[in-house]
Amino acid sequence: MSAALLSLLIPLISALVLLLLRVRVGGLVILANATSLGCAALALYQVVINGTQQLNLGGWETPLGIRFELGPLTALLLVFTALIHLLVAIYAQRSRHSQTRDTDFWPLSCLLHASLGALWLSRDLFNWYVTLELLGLVAVAMVILSGPRSHVPALRYLLLSLAASLCYLLGVALLYGQYGVLDIRALAGVTSNDQVTRLALLLLTLGLMVKAALWPLHQWLPAAHAAAPTAVSALLSALVVKGPLFILWMLWDNVAPAELARQAGIFFAVAGIAALVSGGLAALRTPWIKVLVAYSTVAQLGYALLALGLLLYWQDANMSIALWLFVIAHGLAKVSMFLAAGEMQATLGSRHVSALKGASQTMPVAMFAFAVAGGSLIGLPPSGGFVAKWVLLQPLFLEPARWPWALGVLLGTLASAGYVFRVVTIAFDRADPNPPDYDSDVSAQWLAMLPALIVWAMALMSEPLIEWFREVGL
Amino acid sequence: MITAWTTLLPPAIILSSLLPGLVIFSLREDQVKLRIGLNLFAVILKLCLVGVMLWGVNQGLEFRFAIGFLPGGGLVLQGGATSLQFVTLSSVLWLATTIYAIGYLEDSPLRSRFFGYFSLCVSATVGLALAGNLVTFLLFYELLTLATFPLVVHRGTQKALRAGRVYLAYTLGGGALLLMGIALLHSITGSPEFQAGGYLGPLLDAHRPSLILAFALMISGLGVKAALIPLHGWLPQAMVAPAPVSALLHAVAVVKAGAFGIVRVVYDVYGVEQVQALGLAMPLLALAAATILYGSFKALQQQELKKRLAYSTISQVSYITLGVALMGPIAAVGALAHLVHQGLMKVTLFYCAGNFAETLGIHRINEMNGVGKRMPLTMTAFTLSALGMIGVPPTAGFISKWYLGLGALEVGQDWVLLVLVLSGLLNAAYFLPLIYRGWFAEPPTQWPEEHALGNGRPGLGETHWMLLAPVLFTATLALLAGVLAGSELSPLAWSQLIINRRFGL
Amino acid sequence: MTSTLIYLCGGVTLWVVGLHALLVQRHALRRIMAVNVMGSGVFMVMVALASRDAAVDPVLQALVVTGLVVAASATAFALRLATADPLDKNEPERK
Repeated sequence: MSAALLSLLIPLISALVLLLLRVRVGGLVILANATSLGCAALALYQVVINGTQQLNLGGWETPLGIRFELGPLTALLLVFTALIHLLVAIYAQRSRHSQTRDTDFWPLSCLLHASLGALWLSRDLFNWYVTLELLGLVAVAMVILSGPRSHVPALRYLLLSLAASLCYLLGVALLYGQYGVLDIRALAGVTSNDQVTRLALLLLTLGLMVKAALWPLHQWLPAAHAAAPTAVSALLSALVVKGPLFILWMLWDNVAPAELARQAGIFFAVAGIAALVSGGLAALRTPWIKVLVAYSTVAQLGYALLALGLLLYWQDANMSIALWLFVIAHGLAKVSMFLAAGEMQATLGSRHVSALKGASQTMPVAMFAFAVAGGSLIGLPPSGGFVAKWVLLQPLFLEPARWPWALGVLLGTLASAGYVFRVVTIAFDRADPNPPDYDSDVSAQWLAMLPALIVWAMALMSEPLIEWFREVGL
Repeated sequence: MITAWTTLLPPAIILSSLLPGLVIFSLREDQVKLRIGLNLFAVILKLCLVGVMLWGVNQGLEFRFAIGFLPGGGLVLQGGATSLQFVTLSSVLWLATTIYAIGYLEDSPLRSRFFGYFSLCVSATVGLALAGNLVTFLLFYELLTLATFPLVVHRGTQKALRAGRVYLAYTLGGGALLLMGIALLHSITGSPEFQAGGYLGPLLDAHRPSLILAFALMISGLGVKAALIPLHGWLPQAMVAPAPVSALLHAVAVVKAGAFGIVRVVYDVYGVEQVQALGLAMPLLALAAATILYGSFKALQQQELKKRLAYSTISQVSYITLGVALMGPIAAVGALAHLVHQGLMKVTLFYCAGNFAETLGIHRINEMNGVGKRMPLTMTAFTLSALGMIGVPPTAGFISKWYLGLGALEVGQDWVLLVLVLSGLLNAAYFLPLIYRGWFAEPPTQWPEEHALGNGRPGLGETHWMLLAPVLFTATLALLAGVLAGSELSPLAWSQLIINRRFGL
Repeated sequence: MTSTLIYLCGGVTLWVVGLHALLVQRHALRRIMAVNVMGSGVFMVMVALASRDAAVDPVLQALVVTGLVVAASATAFALRLATADPLDKNEPERK
């Protein structure tokens, strides 16, 4: 447990140091992220050897005290968070086009890292409220790093995020009023399917869906993620929206009564397919590069929603595994896609998709990174995205009544292929390719490629990972 | 030590073109000698490794490579007789096409990118051939789509991009359908390795609807690449790619991958009796026959040479599907033999079309008058291959058609003979005029666009030697495959061997 | 019990009013105020629930205090953000 705690404390302390000393040093943050990654890996190793661990902060018992739990998924998510932060931090420091090198990005990203760590470890509703607020405020602060142009979408994000938190908080209050406990494990045993519980769960779900940008409450995301600086967009799409998703999953999988969960499952699954199709179509039609990538996030979260919905509807634990494989594969691929898109946007001097004409000649590495990341999002073998889709598909074929859901997955695949290849095909256009305004930064493009390569390499690790999850339970 | 090298040989064959391909991507445009050197090194290395595997299989060694990938379905590569036939075909034709491409693209831009993807394309093809189970097959099938797309859009014009989008729409859609079918099967049985006679026999009664749906999905997915109607729409459009790409794609890599996949699914996953028991043999047969006739009819209407060859490919590849769908051993021999024969003949035809275009600017049929006087060697190769397509004895094409016809009689599907005869007549109708024009029509006073390749005189200098040598090489192979079909080393004998093992004869 | 019920309803009403205002109003300052009203509503609900039994529930009180802190900081941030943008069309004329 101490390794996990360290993995969240190190970024927190670095953030405080940076804020107190009023310096903006990227190197310190990279070092902190690397150390945090090491600690998280150690924590993961400990969980593999010893199993799930618990900690009551300060020795105080729940409900007054805070309980941290380090299970297999939490450990994996801690590693995942640290890895993404490290990759993005190196990019933000190294890239010539980084808008965030001499800004407050550094302490803010450390705070983000710490908040996420706390979120993954917490197991009670109120602690989650605190971490959600931290997450939201830090995320908005990072969005406005790109200047006045981002103020309008950032303010919208902030207000919606606050309203969502208050929706969530009302739900928490109702649940506490009904049952008198806030800890997930304690609630799991006692909930029953009555009016108050249903209302409370509805409020909690609505609040979390807004924060996680799950269809149909996703409208704030494309503008906010597109307006943010490149490194920030990567962190937002890969990590920030996944925190509320974690809480949503924990809530419905553990706390909600079974009949209610089954009903909600249908709604989530259908919303998931709607997200895949509408997000994909929107990505196909938008003229802006980063908005395209942001809509891709909305669409890919549809896979997560679908997995969640089917998990609740059929009570099939394999769907949890699919859900989290999607999250990890999507996170890595999205970081790569945003970094590549950001590099191309900055080098080619325009934010339009049409400016990418001929990019396969002028910026081959960045375009290849985009394509490789896109391949994982589409679910082409042998990428991490493919493995996640495969695990999702297996339960769908068990009986003919379930086959229509597979059609939904097929539509999602085709929609993703549509927008990824929209960009890739334009890149091969050789008529008057847009010349770069100045030399492109090739090493930054290789940094953008790195997460995409990791997500493809992840596929080789998939069998032991899936087996471990199946054995131990998430 | 013995076990180590037999395990590593299959991946080595794939890597022998993959690694040099990756290096070629990083070469600058002006590093011509290095690039040509790497290309040829990779080709020869691959041929040597394939030769070693052939020798090994002859000696009774087993080649198998496996690593874990998905629960219930690992990545498996194995060198069996069926795989080796396709691998050998791919490798030999890759040698010819590489030389052809080097000559064809001299002084063209972006050659490093082209040859990089070219090598990836061949790696994907041999990987597909060596695949030992459905999951591995799917992996290389999708990689093939990804590797061939940049080749199709290589020219970068609006026309090329449009063709590329159509190509992607079809092939990615097909890949998604194939994935669904394989996932469906996997949920029932996992993904065991291919087995002669299929492994789905015991499950027939319990899972009828699932097996039928899976078959339909997989055949649709494979049928896109194999250009079965109505999934063939990408192929004529993809003609916009440079001639080496058309040659490779349409004779070796993409179309054959689809046909090979159908062979695998019917023989090694389902098994002949199971397909018949599920009632799927007739629909497949009807589809193949319809495609054969449709392709031939459309070819008649084309005025552009490459388009006519494209529709001819659609028609000819369906002979393979036809042979498979007939479900008998003799037809199966015909199908597998035709896989090789059609590859050799079609690649020759495309080389010839490319030569005509590059040397004299001939793109349309009516520009072909008298080209035989100017380019006799190329025209001879064209004639031989065209006659093979029609099925004139003793060409290779005749041999495979003969076996298909016998196979149809063997299973009692006599109407298929009519289809074969009609198709032969149609083939004659669209190939004989070309042959006539080439040899007997008056050449124009000036060719559409003459380039100074070779020394300009008919004979060995009629075009660049790198464009001429591959043509003669593959034409000779096609001729030998037909004339020496009775010998032990011919593709026919090899197919016979495979089928004997498969049907337990 | 009735007073608890009154405060509960009051809190929920405030919450709904705040939410409605947030969704309908366009002016940034009004939206921030709407969020604050929502917050007050939630806190009122929590306080009402806390005082249901004779012994006041410390957990809910802790929740309310934390919520107040978060609301205050978030409001400060939102205000700064709302008034910082010279291009914001909803800004009142600066004097």
